[in-house]
Amino acid sequence: MDYTRFEKARIIGARALQISMGAPPTLTKIPKEIIDPVEISMLEFEEDAIPITVRRDQ
Amino acid sequence: MSKTGAKNKKQKNIKNPSRPKKDTSAKNIKKKEMLKPTKEKTVKAKKLKEKMVPSPTKKQKKMGKTAKIKKTKEISKKKKKIPKSAKDKTLKAKKLEGKKAPAPIKKKKEKKKSVKIKKTKGIATKKKKVTLKSTKDKPKKLEVKMVPPPPKEKEESKEYKKIKEEINKILKDRFLPRYVVDNIVDRVARDKKLNSKLKIIIDRILDDYGKNLIDPTEACGMVGAQSIGEPGTQMTMRTFHYAGVAEINVTLGLPRLIEIVDARSIPSTPMMNIYLRDEYRVNSDLAKEIANKIEITKLTDIADIEMDLINLIIYIKPNKKTMDKKGLTLEEILERVKTVRKTDAHIEKKAIKITLDDPGYKNLQGINENLKKIKIKGIDGIKRVIIRKESHEGYVIYSEGSNLKEVLEIEGVDPYKTSTNDIHAVARELGIEAARNMIIQEAHNTLSEQGLNVDLRHIMIVADVMTADGTVRAIGRHGVSGEKSSVLSRAAFEITVNHLLLASQRGESDKLNGVAENIIVGQPVNLGTGAVELAMGHGKSKKKKGK
Repeated sequence: MDYTRFEKARIIGARALQISMGAPPTLTKIPKEIIDPVEISMLEFEEDAIPITVRRDQ
Repeated sequence: MSKTGAKNKKQKNIKNPSRPKKDTSAKNIKKKEMLKPTKEKTVKAKKLKEKMVPSPTKKQKKMGKTAKIKKTKEISKKKKKIPKSAKDKTLKAKKLEGKKAPAPIKKKKEKKKSVKIKKTKGIATKKKKVTLKSTKDKPKKLEVKMVPPPPKEKEESKEYKKIKEEINKILKDRFLPRYVVDNIVDRVARDKKLNSKLKIIIDRILDDYGKNLIDPTEACGMVGAQSIGEPGTQMTMRTFHYAGVAEINVTLGLPRLIEIVDARSIPSTPMMNIYLRDEYRVNSDLAKEIANKIEITKLTDIADIEMDLINLIIYIKPNKKTMDKKGLTLEEILERVKTVRKTDAHIEKKAIKITLDDPGYKNLQGINENLKKIKIKGIDGIKRVIIRKESHEGYVIYSEGSNLKEVLEIEGVDPYKTSTNDIHAVARELGIEAARNMIIQEAHNTLSEQGLNVDLRHIMIVADVMTADGTVRAIGRHGVSGEKSSVLSRAAFEITVNHLLLASQRGESDKLNGVAENIIVGQPVNLGTGAVELAMGHGKSKKKKGK
């Protein structure tokens, strides 16, 4: 499934919020200098490690 | 000619083979050889080459080489020219998403097709030419066939079908618009080398096509509105132009754009471009005849009306010159004059004498007024007509005033090309799709005429919104905005209290689908990221399952 750019933004945003509030990252090898939750969640998105997807009912 | 020329050059070469002239001659021969390779010439050229080989100095060899390279470059340039235009076409097609090509492109295509057909059927065109010539000589004897030739779709040859099937095999479930596919087929049929690379080509086209598609839930309407609105602020407020054609005044610029968007029932300067068919297109006399049929002629245009106040009689004295010009006879005028009530008219000494059934000064004045209004010939609404000869079209009639319905009924008018700037008339006579195309064309022309390059797709979405329900609706209070189903949206637009009051009386409900409603309520708008619904799970794992 290809995400549209809106879906990608929404998923990364939601995950970044979780991380910023203390959720443990799903990736183990995140470089130490990356602290920003948005950047972390983007890394996770690239690896397909975010347990969030999109519902397309209509 | 080419034969003898080659011979002469050959002889020269034999006489003094070391001269540099030889090179040029060889070049010429080669060119001809490449253009029309006949056996004789190639043989000659070969002989020439053989003779050349032993004698030439190094310099000459070099020159020959450079000449060759130049030639090949030239040829390759020529070759390149064709595919470029074709590329542009495909690009355009992609832009339009292939759904509906706007009218101008379609026309071009048709033209090309017709040219092709002509080429393939050389005999048929020759025959046509002969008939055309004869019409020039004696135009009035020729009987014109009534059948308007519908622009037939070029019958797909077996080759085309084969390529199409192949493309469909490669595509499988993936989608490409028909217009794009047709373009590919056209190109591949012309250039056989592409056949082996078809898969790569289609993959790349699919890639590009996907990139050009708009993501679902993108606010393309808003982007479109801004993209037309912003250049609109730069438009000159009042511009009146002589649009190419002598003396016909057409509203352009901002006033015209507002007119289109407001869907005015009658444009402020209605006009038509009337294209002609077959013989009418090439023959100036026939074209004039049609122009006379179209342009409105009133009694006062061709005759003087004189009142005899003593005997209470009206004399109509036609002007012979203008009558001939319009192709009218006295009898025809009499016929029209007789339609005026309570009068009796008959011809008397090259004039028409009108007596009253009920003589009286007041009646005389009234009938005089009526006579002035009588239409002798022509179509209502078309005030003035100009005939021009266009380089590719032959004679084209441009008219001030518009009456699409009646003009289309006139024999000799090409109903497939004739157009008007009266969008409502187009919707009435040719249908809503044609009206949509007209809106696109007119809006695009008025914008680009002022040097504002708005992407066609923005205009297309405006036209789509205007024509979506089968009628041409204005954008604004009286049209699209005023007829919205949502109460809150209407209230946000205008006369808030009234709308809310009426809605509460009727007990209307609001589905909260639009932008304004959701903002009023304080929800995320159902567009872009706001329309995404998140759920637990992994996205890419779904891909493996097969979606």
